[in-house]
Amino acid sequence: MDAEAPRAAVSWENGTLAPVDHLRSDRADSPTPGLVEGTEPGAGQKSAMFVRAQSFEDLTAESEELIQREAQLDKPIESAEELEVLVGEKSIEEQHNNDVASENRTKEEDVSSEAWRSHRKHVFVLSEAGKPIYSRYGTEEALSSTMGVMMALVSFVEAEKNIIRSIHADGCKVVFLAKSPLVLVGVSRTCQSDKELLRELQYIYYQIVSLLTLTQLNHIFQHKQNYDLRRLLAGSEYLTDNLLHRLDRDPGLLLSAVTCLPLPSSTRDVVSSSLQAAKAKNLVFSILLAGDRLVTLVRKKDQFLHHIDLNLVFNLVGSSSSFREGEGWTPICLPKFNTAGFFHAHISYLEPASDLCLILVSTDREDFFNMSDCKQRFLERLNKRSAYQSLKEALKCPSYSVEQVGIPELRHFLYKSKSSGLYTSPAYPVVYQTDEEQERLMGLYQDLHSRLHHPTRPLRSLYRCTESENLMAWVTSGFELYLCFSPLGTKALAVSAVTKLLKWIRKEEDRLFILSPLTY
Amino acid sequence: MSAIRVDAKVVMLGKESVGKTSLVERYVHHRFLVGPYQNTIGAAFVAKPIQVGEKVITLGIWDTAGSERYEAMSRIYYRGARAAIVCYDLTDSSSFQRARFWVKELQNCEEHCKIYLCGTKNDLVSGDRSLRQIDYHDAQDFAEEIGAQHFETSSKTGNNVDELFQKVAEDYNSSAFEYMTEETSVDLGQKKDSYFYSCCHNN
Repeated sequence: MDAEAPRAAVSWENGTLAPVDHLRSDRADSPTPGLVEGTEPGAGQKSAMFVRAQSFEDLTAESEELIQREAQLDKPIESAEELEVLVGEKSIEEQHNNDVASENRTKEEDVSSEAWRSHRKHVFVLSEAGKPIYSRYGTEEALSSTMGVMMALVSFVEAEKNIIRSIHADGCKVVFLAKSPLVLVGVSRTCQSDKELLRELQYIYYQIVSLLTLTQLNHIFQHKQNYDLRRLLAGSEYLTDNLLHRLDRDPGLLLSAVTCLPLPSSTRDVVSSSLQAAKAKNLVFSILLAGDRLVTLVRKKDQFLHHIDLNLVFNLVGSSSSFREGEGWTPICLPKFNTAGFFHAHISYLEPASDLCLILVSTDREDFFNMSDCKQRFLERLNKRSAYQSLKEALKCPSYSVEQVGIPELRHFLYKSKSSGLYTSPAYPVVYQTDEEQERLMGLYQDLHSRLHHPTRPLRSLYRCTESENLMAWVTSGFELYLCFSPLGTKALAVSAVTKLLKWIRKEEDRLFILSPLTY
Repeated sequence: MSAIRVDAKVVMLGKESVGKTSLVERYVHHRFLVGPYQNTIGAAFVAKPIQVGEKVITLGIWDTAGSERYEAMSRIYYRGARAAIVCYDLTDSSSFQRARFWVKELQNCEEHCKIYLCGTKNDLVSGDRSLRQIDYHDAQDFAEEIGAQHFETSSKTGNNVDELFQKVAEDYNSSAFEYMTEETSVDLGQKKDSYFYSCCHNN
């Protein structure tokens, strides 16, 4: 489908829309948004809330495997044939493939059925001993020999001092990610690139680390290589299931960003300062969520939260109703902060039926009652200043419609401010009401994203026409923008829409973004 | 907002999916949630005032996760607890083994903690006797051996749930009384038994 889709790359000279040397202080005077980092609409005024997140390179850059792979980039293994070059013996590789097939057929009904095979995306996690840890579909027991074969493939290529990255065959991509002591394998029928799939596997890896810490994982497998990790992960499968579901649907995970609840800045300031005042010695992060939108985040000075860690927290809270019973108190590892240890999170809803969930992250596991006290103090302050009422008011419309922007033919967009790590996006319009349609739109965005961030041929901008929509994407050092127009849109219209949209976002940025993040 | 004072720390222990959360949910919110099973993550804390005679006693109930993953953390939940409700599933014999483990753990580490052995999902076995895997008398014998109270409850119907927590509160009340008459000196270690919050942790 890639080849058929007519598309053209359009690029702008820097500065067509605004001078690049736009200074932060000019922000109030000029409605024209800046293109460079720190001056784009939504950029924080003081310091960033998050670890510097240069979109998704950040996610993959530090993985050792990738650095090694970078060296081989000139000859990526992109088909079974090319794998031959690396492996040397194609026959063996084919034999393995046959094994997988026959193995599947002789297994329990569920995993040998056509329905099981035809899932769009499978994800498997195994130990380096080849023991199954997680499978998105089917039971791990039934898949133990399949996973054995996967491990055999990994070790076989490793024995030749090489790394298996992917196998492309029969409309299927098989992507491998070795993160000792775990191996993650994705099998996809989607048109996502290897890099996108790898990014998703990274997320799954971090999800597992967040439950156990890397130190504990290493410790376990050093002592007992064939340990069955499912014992320790029991009951957490739905967190991984849910994360995979979000990866298909949530723009935040694609953009490596989070979105905020639209809120008048005066209200947000009061909420933030109330949270700031409710501090404690060991409190590192206070996070207030409304569903899967950020209301505010207050952090300890000099401590930054990584967007991956924050997205894992979103996933934890969003997946479980367990925090509605009472005040939750759970160990949590924030792998991008520190893979070695646990933080302890006090998680509770402000009211039993409310969407507002407060997460207080402490370094001390004995801190429950201190955190509980912080929550009480926060609530008292919030009530005193009547900000609570306006916050609840804002909850009634957690999103905005694209019509508010006033650009004809514009159906939907994603805008990420790179320096703040926050994105904004309108509600899905009527044409994308069903889950299926929303996932299809996300698929289109994913495609644009992977083209912009192509490892060897990155693009600055892209215009693409498909049968059902016209799409445009643009990335500068300050922001990433993805737009979806109706098929009636034209390229000229799209180009003028960008200026208009950026101006609109600049005008609304007080409400859509957190411009002045606070620290304790 | 007034400070909530917790008199007695109560901890729920037992294998995963035996129904600890459902038991708390039934007792505190008088409801039984039907739907897919959801594990507790870490632990959940809820304070519940209960009338004992003329006094009101607030139980601070720690509903812990049954998953092995959190086992290393369990000590912080049962330390200083005045009562532990050790749950097992009447239809699952392995959960009784797990209950024995918790009893041993408590006997070793928390000798002042009173143990309440609680067989859950009684509605299932009263519907179909063949589902019962733990004999009432075996459990009763075990309870007597370790000096524990024994209950069989159903969170679905509410059967015996209030009685269980009422007993916990009454026992606490009478032991607290004994405690006060017996001990005249101040035991600083005992501070952990009653937590005050919203009043003395301001930094």
